[in-house]
Amino acid sequence: MGMKVRMLAAFAGVLVVAAVATTAAFGAHRADPGVTSTSITIGGTFPLTGPASLYKTIPAAEKAYFDYVNDHGGVNGRKINFDILDDAYNPAQTVPLTQQLVEQTKVFAVFGSLGTAPNLSTWGYLNQNKVPQVLIATGDSYWGFSYKKYPWTIGWQPDYPGEGKIYGKYLASTMPSGKIGVLYQNDAFGKNYYAGLRVGLGAKKGNVVSAQSYDPTQTNVTQQILALKAAGADVLVIFAIPTQAITALVTATKVGWAPSATIVGNVSANRLFLLAAAANGANVNGVISTAYTVSSTDPSQANLPGVKLASSIIGQYAPSLVTSLKQGDGNVIYGLGAAWTFVYALQHAGKNPTRASFMAALKSMHNVVDPFNYTGIKMNTSRTDNFPIEQDILMKWAGGASGDWQTFGKLYDGVR
Amino acid sequence: MSRRFLVAVVVLLVAAAVVVLLPFQLDGYHEGLAAKVAIFFIAVLGLNILTGYTGQISIGHGAFMAIGGYTTAVMSHYHHTNLLLTLPLAFVIAFGFGVIVGIPALRFSGVYLALATFALAVSVPQFALKFSKFFGGSNGIQTSTTPTHLWLYVVSWASAGILFLVAWLVLRGRTGRAFRSIRDSEIAAAASGVTLPIYKTLAFGISAAFAGVAGSLFVLATNGFAQPNEFGVFLSLELLVGAAVAGLGSLWGVLIGAIFIALLPTVSADVPLIGSAHGQDVVFGLIVIGVMLVLPTGFAGLLHRLQALPGVRTAEKEG
Repeated sequence: MGMKVRMLAAFAGVLVVAAVATTAAFGAHRADPGVTSTSITIGGTFPLTGPASLYKTIPAAEKAYFDYVNDHGGVNGRKINFDILDDAYNPAQTVPLTQQLVEQTKVFAVFGSLGTAPNLSTWGYLNQNKVPQVLIATGDSYWGFSYKKYPWTIGWQPDYPGEGKIYGKYLASTMPSGKIGVLYQNDAFGKNYYAGLRVGLGAKKGNVVSAQSYDPTQTNVTQQILALKAAGADVLVIFAIPTQAITALVTATKVGWAPSATIVGNVSANRLFLLAAAANGANVNGVISTAYTVSSTDPSQANLPGVKLASSIIGQYAPSLVTSLKQGDGNVIYGLGAAWTFVYALQHAGKNPTRASFMAALKSMHNVVDPFNYTGIKMNTSRTDNFPIEQDILMKWAGGASGDWQTFGKLYDGVR
Repeated sequence: MSRRFLVAVVVLLVAAAVVVLLPFQLDGYHEGLAAKVAIFFIAVLGLNILTGYTGQISIGHGAFMAIGGYTTAVMSHYHHTNLLLTLPLAFVIAFGFGVIVGIPALRFSGVYLALATFALAVSVPQFALKFSKFFGGSNGIQTSTTPTHLWLYVVSWASAGILFLVAWLVLRGRTGRAFRSIRDSEIAAAASGVTLPIYKTLAFGISAAFAGVAGSLFVLATNGFAQPNEFGVFLSLELLVGAAVAGLGSLWGVLIGAIFIALLPTVSADVPLIGSAHGQDVVFGLIVIGVMLVLPTGFAGLLHRLQALPGVRTAEKEG
């Protein structure tokens, strides 16, 4: 072979080696955005200001949990950086902030974003860009049902229709001849709750003697309460957001109605709301709702590992939330529980997690026990089950204006 | 050709060049931000026509944005209308609403007009909650297709350019003179033969139409998702502040006003000492106070003063 040919061959050989080495190098280090060997960056949008700002304790609690995990070595040596952005519950702000998280901050996942409308405004964008939108703080069931079209989206808490179904089952079995009156918000939120109730009642759906709706813009529900009373209902079911739920409870007492059972949807069952209703004259003893997290104020739960862990984590990493925790603000435990689930999925996403492996871990949970969930609740997800928590425990209020919820009975399953 | 006209044309050409070349330099996220500036430019321009040029105050232009925005969302959602076509539709529908609002508003002025338009800002978004089945209620309504960042940028700035031209043509002509005369003195205007009801209502209509187009683009910038919370009361206040910072009664300051309200939230998201939760509000408030103290005639006023400096003096007064 001539000198020229040999040089050419050598050159070609060097090129091939270089190409292979480069590809190998890129292949080995090609990771999803937001993941480095020492950190993983996530972010979410929350109403830190504005009308829904009472939920701002949720991201604060979530951050406290991540700080706790980071102090104990993180997940597979990676610390979790959690970017909390304020969208004031306004989708016009949620969208650019989420785009910022994805395109500027380059997060690994969007975690815990709060609100149905805010999440609806971004789920198309996030799924299109294959960004996980996980453990979002809303009880609507869209996220659970739409896994085929939006595979990167998953919720966490039990959904409203599932919860309504549980109330239906409870009433059908304990008050088979009770006359039920339902107050519900006249939009998708209230209607879905009511539909769930009817499914749960099954053969007993005829027990509903009256269903009165109110406009989300109405804060006075006197007319509806009077109509329910006049229809002869002796069970009052309230599917409303906090303001109207509190008003309904107060109004029912003020018009002299004492139903044999009153049910309030979980969304309005934060201890602080019942205390507010009682302070305004409502008779809240015996009011029933559901819970899926442990309680920080129920003495019978004081020795549960989750309650003790919550107290210790909040005390150390989020001291400003200690008072809320002691008053029974369920949002704090909620935040800890959702964050725990995130960390669990990350731990099971492999040593070098990718967005795909993380979603796979989240969607293949089998009887996973979150310490912040009520005793006995097991999280299950699969390719066709996109609802992590589907169980609830019933609880009844006792102790009047300074009382609290007390859980009773067995765990109910809202499983589809 | 007057020197002032020449300067204006040169400035416009430079601005146009910047707008056209910018997307090649910006990434998607920043294109979205730039589009937001154009959207508020259109809205503040419209408000300026009503408040700056005709002297009718409005703290309710968020309502007209809502009308335009929901027009786009509804038409696209139910009829799969081409997104571009929904813009002139929003213009016309918002114009109609503006005229309908302008007629009773003839009876009000000053504080009372402000309150009446404020009532509009509060009540219009509520209609989406009341007729939730059609308008999507609190779960919002989604267009059938969503535009890309680039589409949004191009269409927003093209619309801004077209509407700027429309505003300029309207304001330099007879209508503009009628508007200004109404602002300066209604009695003198009426005495000079200006039919007050017609021109005042027209001002409301045109102004609302601009806000309607801005609203359509606003919804498209929100991934095509329209929901009542997007059109809260604060939006109307923001527009008024933007118009004040811009300088009432001038078209040139409008860009500064638009940049202010569009970019301030992003820029002031993390303020040291105050923190991210309230940093934005505090910075916004401080700048508004600052502008009102130092530049009561807004940015346009500043431009005036610069023009009046020796060496740049011109023979003609700003119309």
